[in-house]
Amino acid sequence: MGRILVIEDDPETADEIEACLTAAGFEVEKRLDGPGGLLRAGQAAFDAITLDRMLPGMDGLDIVRALHEGGSTTPIMMVSALGDVDDRVDGLRAGGDDYIIKPFAPSELVARVEVLLRRRTRASAAMPEVRLQVADLQLDLVKHEALRGPHRIELLPMEFKLLEYMMRNAGQLLTRRMIFEAVWEYYFDPGTNLINVHVGKLRRKIDLPGFMPLFKTERGQGYMLHAP
Amino acid sequence: MRLKEIWRTSTFRLSVLYGALFALATVALLGMIYLQSAVYLTRRVDSILETEAHALAAAPGASLRQRIDDALALNGGRNRIFAVFRPDGGYVTGNLRHLPAHLEAGGKPIEIPPAPGTVAITRLIARKLPSGETLVVGRDVSQLSEMRRIIGSALVWSGSLILLVGLGCGAALSLAPLRRLQRMQVIGHDIAGGNLSRRMPVSARGDELDMFAETVNHMISEVERLMAQTKASTDIIAHDLRTPLTRARAHLERLGQAQGGDRHEVAHVTDQLDQVLDRFRAILRISEIEARARRAGFAIIDLGAVLRTAADLYTPLAEEDGVGFALEAGRGRFIEADPKLLFEAISNLLDNAIKFTPRGGHVRVRLEDGGERYRIVVRDDGPGVPTSELSSVLERFYRRDRDRLAPGSGLGLSIVAAIMRLHEFELTLEDAAPGLRVVIAAPKAMQPSDKTDDLSFRP
Repeated sequence: MGRILVIEDDPETADEIEACLTAAGFEVEKRLDGPGGLLRAGQAAFDAITLDRMLPGMDGLDIVRALHEGGSTTPIMMVSALGDVDDRVDGLRAGGDDYIIKPFAPSELVARVEVLLRRRTRASAAMPEVRLQVADLQLDLVKHEALRGPHRIELLPMEFKLLEYMMRNAGQLLTRRMIFEAVWEYYFDPGTNLINVHVGKLRRKIDLPGFMPLFKTERGQGYMLHAP
Repeated sequence: MRLKEIWRTSTFRLSVLYGALFALATVALLGMIYLQSAVYLTRRVDSILETEAHALAAAPGASLRQRIDDALALNGGRNRIFAVFRPDGGYVTGNLRHLPAHLEAGGKPIEIPPAPGTVAITRLIARKLPSGETLVVGRDVSQLSEMRRIIGSALVWSGSLILLVGLGCGAALSLAPLRRLQRMQVIGHDIAGGNLSRRMPVSARGDELDMFAETVNHMISEVERLMAQTKASTDIIAHDLRTPLTRARAHLERLGQAQGGDRHEVAHVTDQLDQVLDRFRAILRISEIEARARRAGFAIIDLGAVLRTAADLYTPLAEEDGVGFALEAGRGRFIEADPKLLFEAISNLLDNAIKFTPRGGHVRVRLEDGGERYRIVVRDDGPGVPTSELSSVLERFYRRDRDRLAPGSGLGLSIVAAIMRLHEFELTLEDAAPGLRVVIAAPKAMQPSDKTDDLSFRP
């Protein structure tokens, strides 16, 4: 499914990440120090890298910069105990592709890594997508139009953005936090109910009566849009 | 206002009291001197009069008239009085023409005011002569009464002068301690407002105020230490428990996915764990905000745009709960703030307002122009908070008993308060009767010339 390089100095956390990713079907290689990780990343091709923000003797951000300077396009998931918005913004600005805060739920880590891999696949496609499709749901990115079968669906700007995000990651579990960060671009805790309400509202517009339901709720975890 | 304050100081009162006592003592002393000397002098005059009258009365009747004339001639009749009256009161001889009405022969001496025939205040004594006539002997005592007057006015003047000086000294002495007290008061208010890093001023004198200030400073240090300890231990607990709790949650997740597990039960426990984790996250979030460098992420932002985005985010939540939601925000209202944090604060306020407003209620958000500041007013018509509890609501973990059923970390308003402290914006909670009104007051900023984009608050 994919090869992941885990650069993490704490063996326990490294094992935990390995267990999560292995269980999700990834092939995992661990490096317990920054320079070793950087070296390994240059030697072999990986589909993604998880990188601890704080490594002994080396800031995770320096590794990100070094990788980018070396021409690497491998997506990087920053793993950090620092939760502040500023740290996150620093991490993303330096070239990290996503940022997860310790401690995290395994499903969240796996979901985020999977979304990263999809984004990479999408980015490497020759043509930019102009139309997304999941079963009989179509989203025209140029005309800003959503169609469920023959029905045209009116969407507010944020609903359009939410649907686009969910369709791009169809079949993929998306946690509420991931949705809030990707669609609204805020990093604080929005409370469980807020995202539920937004997704629920969109769901009522899309899963029209008589149509096959496309939205799926994973209780306690998040949402998924999937073709049955 | 200052006079009133001076009057209230103990230094002033003490020195005035001291001055008054001193004045009283002086008056008493002078009074004693006055009484003693006046009585002594009067007695002397009386005994002289007595002796003279006695000597004259003892003289044979024929030589009396001659002796009176001699005495008057010797004295010139200016400050002595000698006279003889018939038993019916008619004038016989001497330099007093009429017998004064109250003068009784053989009685006590009396004093009469200046009158025609007498030059000044005079003390008189009368004696019956063997012939039945009345002999009157007198002396000018105006010097004596002058002396009495002088001592009397000395009493009044010195008394009032001492009082006045006491008052002045009291005021002057009170000013310095009063100023120190006022400084202490200002600092005390600041400390009560939560700024525990401040201390009472201690001078090198080591007087009673300094002793008091040192005691208070010691108390504040202790409070500060305890506060820091409490906060640190809460943070450490939150931080340390997060990892095992997250692992437990992961185990549960796997159990739920495994065959034969009770999915419903697992999901229920997961929800409970999530609530704990949410609360811990909020505690750590408050600490993160408090630890931030001030103005690190500050920019000039359009307040109206922030409010509109927040309203867009929360309107569906209000609709879902059957709560009416209205926003009144103008355009081009700029303040200097950290846009992400301000958005987080407003989100928490809206979340809170919607959560505590019953179905059919309303949440209204208004952006008001308050002169030098803009006011963001979030008002709901839910059950509100009793006035007595308004200040406690901003404290960490404060939740009213019946609110415990409502979802959330209970730390939403504490996060708002932390963000407002960082910004030095004023946050007030008021009873909107019914409901709660939360007001954020933020100083106005000049509109940035290079940014007119409505979304400029997204850095």
